[in-house]
Amino acid sequence: MSNIVVMAETIDDELLVKQFNQGDDSAFDRIVEGHSTDIAVLANRLLGWPGEVEDVVQEVLLAAFVGLKKFRCECSLKSWLFTITINKCRSYRCKQMLYFRFFSRAAAKASAAPSSAADSMQIDNETFDRVRRAIQSLPLKYREPVVLRYLQELSMDETARILSISRNALQVRLSRARERLRGDLAELIG
Amino acid sequence: MKEDKIKNLLQKADQTAGGPVPVSANLAAAVRRRANRRQTVNLAARIAAAAVVLFALGIWSFTAKKARDRQRIVALEMQIKQLKVQTDATLNFIREVLEEERKQRRLDELQAQLASIPDPLEEIQKQVDKTAFILVYQANRMYRELNQKDPAVQAYNRVIELFPQSRWAEVARQRLSEIQNDQIDNSKGDLI
Repeated sequence: MSNIVVMAETIDDELLVKQFNQGDDSAFDRIVEGHSTDIAVLANRLLGWPGEVEDVVQEVLLAAFVGLKKFRCECSLKSWLFTITINKCRSYRCKQMLYFRFFSRAAAKASAAPSSAADSMQIDNETFDRVRRAIQSLPLKYREPVVLRYLQELSMDETARILSISRNALQVRLSRARERLRGDLAELIG
Repeated sequence: MKEDKIKNLLQKADQTAGGPVPVSANLAAAVRRRANRRQTVNLAARIAAAAVVLFALGIWSFTAKKARDRQRIVALEMQIKQLKVQTDATLNFIREVLEEERKQRRLDELQAQLASIPDPLEEIQKQVDKTAFILVYQANRMYRELNQKDPAVQAYNRVIELFPQSRWAEVARQRLSEIQNDQIDNSKGDLI
């Protein structure tokens, strides 16, 4: 059943790309309509749940708009868009890190505000906030597999393809990420 | 087992964080606008780059032309200096030639002036001759017109004494002999 769905998605993707290459504007509209939410969710998770991710989504779709003519349908459109999303999120985080390095005062203020708000949250929320912080504190090479595999619930093969690493490397990274999370959240995991 | 536990925990944490802010409805249009804007910016950047390159080429060409002009000016200045040196040398030569000619002319003039000056010896000779003539002439007048024989003889003797080599000395001698002859003749006549 899932194979049929995948095949249908692939055919649909090819059709959309073909229509786009033929100059059909509605094809891009349908791509945006079909994938913008997934892209936004992924970007939101990769960037630490900031909520406002439209800029990144626009960047991803812009890159897709420019590069769609070169897309050869060797993977699904969704995987391709997720790859772009990961790259854009990396760039975005780099820019943010540079920004916070130069404007550390603003960063301090920004980090102070949620903590004061968090004081008023319920215990569960605090716990999950801690979990999210633990995910955010993971190095990039561990955080991306965790988000793709556990939160986006992609298959091992698809995750490996999106991250351009082998399946074994992905397993190693996931294992090490779990170890770190276990270390950080020992009392929650048990 | 632990993997599932971690996964569940992570998913719950993700769910409680809430999803992203819904993207705007006209996202595709916004992306197209951005793409068009980027294309325009890229085109403008290319045009600007081309303009910069052209400007740089222009400056380079201008500078190269200026350098060539400077080289030509230097070469022309060298030629002018050489010509000036040659002209100076020619002028010096002409000046030397003119000086030589002037000297030659001056020499000719001096030689002409020298040639025009009469020979003093000849002049003295003329004066001497003239003086002798005057003495002889006076003596002749004294003897023939005034009949003063003795002063006339003295004058003839003086001519012979002072100008013995002149022809007037010869004339004086002749007159003296004539006077002597006249005296002899007169004495003969008296005797007769």
